[in-house]
Amino acid sequence: MKIIQTKQLTKTYTRFKKEEGFKGSIKGLFKREKITKDAVHDFDLDIEAGEFVGLIGPNGAGKTTLMKMLSGIISPTSGSLSALGYIPNELKNEYKKQFSIVMGQKSQLFQDLSAADTFLLLKEIYGIPEEEYRRNLNYFIELFKVSDYLNVQVRTLSLGERMKMELIAALIHSPKILFLDEPTIGLDAVAQKQIRSFLKEVNSDKGTTILLTSHYMDDIKSLCKRCVVVNNGTKIYDGGLALLFDKYQTQKQITVSFEKETAYIPPFAVQIIESNPFKLSFMAPRGDVRDILGSILSQCEINDISILEEDIGNIVERIYSIKGGSSECENI
Amino acid sequence: MRKYIETSKLLFKNQLVYRFDIIISMVFTVSKILLAFVLWGTIFGNQKVVVGFTFSAMLSYYVISSFITQLDQSSNAGWQISTEIKNGSFSKYIIKPMSILGYFTAQTFGISAFLVVFNLLAASLWVLVFRIDFTFTSNLSLIAAALLLILLGLLFMIQLNYYIGILAFRFVDTSVFMMIKDNIIQFLTGALIPLTLLPAGIIKVMMVFPFYYISYLPSMLLIGRNGGEIVLGIVLLIGWNGAFWILNHFTFKKLIYKYEGVGM
Repeated sequence: MKIIQTKQLTKTYTRFKKEEGFKGSIKGLFKREKITKDAVHDFDLDIEAGEFVGLIGPNGAGKTTLMKMLSGIISPTSGSLSALGYIPNELKNEYKKQFSIVMGQKSQLFQDLSAADTFLLLKEIYGIPEEEYRRNLNYFIELFKVSDYLNVQVRTLSLGERMKMELIAALIHSPKILFLDEPTIGLDAVAQKQIRSFLKEVNSDKGTTILLTSHYMDDIKSLCKRCVVVNNGTKIYDGGLALLFDKYQTQKQITVSFEKETAYIPPFAVQIIESNPFKLSFMAPRGDVRDILGSILSQCEINDISILEEDIGNIVERIYSIKGGSSECENI
Repeated sequence: MRKYIETSKLLFKNQLVYRFDIIISMVFTVSKILLAFVLWGTIFGNQKVVVGFTFSAMLSYYVISSFITQLDQSSNAGWQISTEIKNGSFSKYIIKPMSILGYFTAQTFGISAFLVVFNLLAASLWVLVFRIDFTFTSNLSLIAAALLLILLGLLFMIQLNYYIGILAFRFVDTSVFMMIKDNIIQFLTGALIPLTLLPAGIIKVMMVFPFYYISYLPSMLLIGRNGGEIVLGIVLLIGWNGAFWILNHFTFKKLIYKYEGVGM
């Protein structure tokens, strides 16, 4: 069952151009030049109930704008959208009770009070029966292991602890759809991993449909089966994540620290990022990684080695350039 | 309704977080009483009565009206709304299944309730400490009417500030509107001087607007005066509240589509 559907969805922002300097500011009082930009353009998207979809793209691609339209925060300029059978920007309470949105850099918790106080308010706002509220709260407390700081002033929590509380606040009313905009931004590796396992469980256990944007490839890789790539407001790829990586993630970043001064040059076609007698960092074709590692291990005394996935921005760039700059979407 | 009561409770609790702040704000209610002592003491000099007020009636008026004025915390809500629209954090209200005006009304009432409890305690203490010959009516119907007028007045002020706050959807920065409104209201509500000191013609014009009934009339009723203006006050405040409710409803509907949710 399709739970979210958009057709030719477009959002155009109007901005004013201001000339630099004092003279420009005075001039701007009398005459302003308007610039219009399509943040989202002719966007078609169908999401089935229970899906976990990753929305990826570089900064300014239109991911957050799309999330805001789906949650009714902003209205589209043209096109149509429906979520759970509602038009989000009509701001019907019946729809608002069935979704949640978490924005990594914005908080819905009262900073001077404890998270438990905010949860009590949300219980009343969403009209959650006492029994269901207690059951949900206990479930999330257990899942996240947050019982120790439930009654602590929010402003004193670490970023990771606060994000867990934000997620509980978003899920306490058992929404059918959860929009997540960069939920792991700024978190350390441990907290990121915890959040990921939590989201995975919510999706599989509660059947919550989740739409996630993230700059961390690991988030997308470990959580989403389907992925939508957005660039300049248009969808350029919509399909399986495995296929996306097979086809477009052609490089990996290898970084090696040496025990002693080493003059190692990889005998492969690689792109050097950093090179000094104690450290070597380069991009290598995925297919060659195994052989490269074998070569390094046999020839050098290494102190440490790391292999990182390629940055999202590079993948988007590659899809875009392979398609010759066409904004036509690849549906797989 | 429970969601709004819980909002009020939460904001009440929020005021209780910083103990030093509470103590200081209670102690400093004395500054207003001292100021009134000095100001009206100078004006009265050796005179027993000025424009129909004895010194103690004037002082009582001042204490009561400044207490009522302080109850109105809606200006903060107006600033908060426009700031949050400007920085994009207003989105958190849009996605909640509750009336945004209702939320800010409940929030303001929560803070006002806190002030009623703590500042009333402090003000009563100072009246006793300074042995002020406090003039206060014993007529229950006047007290009831004053309380109703205060409630309607606070509701009106929330609606007015909400209106100016949501204008940020259109103008982004509404600080000029807020500043002008704050300055005018201080004068129009009689928070600075009793309005009876103004020429009769001006008072007649002011009686058409709601500000006359927000702080001035309830204060006068509580010192046992102006009983004849109760009905007019209640009718006018209900009318202004209704008018602003409609204005807010349509303004929000018209301007919300301009919201972009962008900012820091």
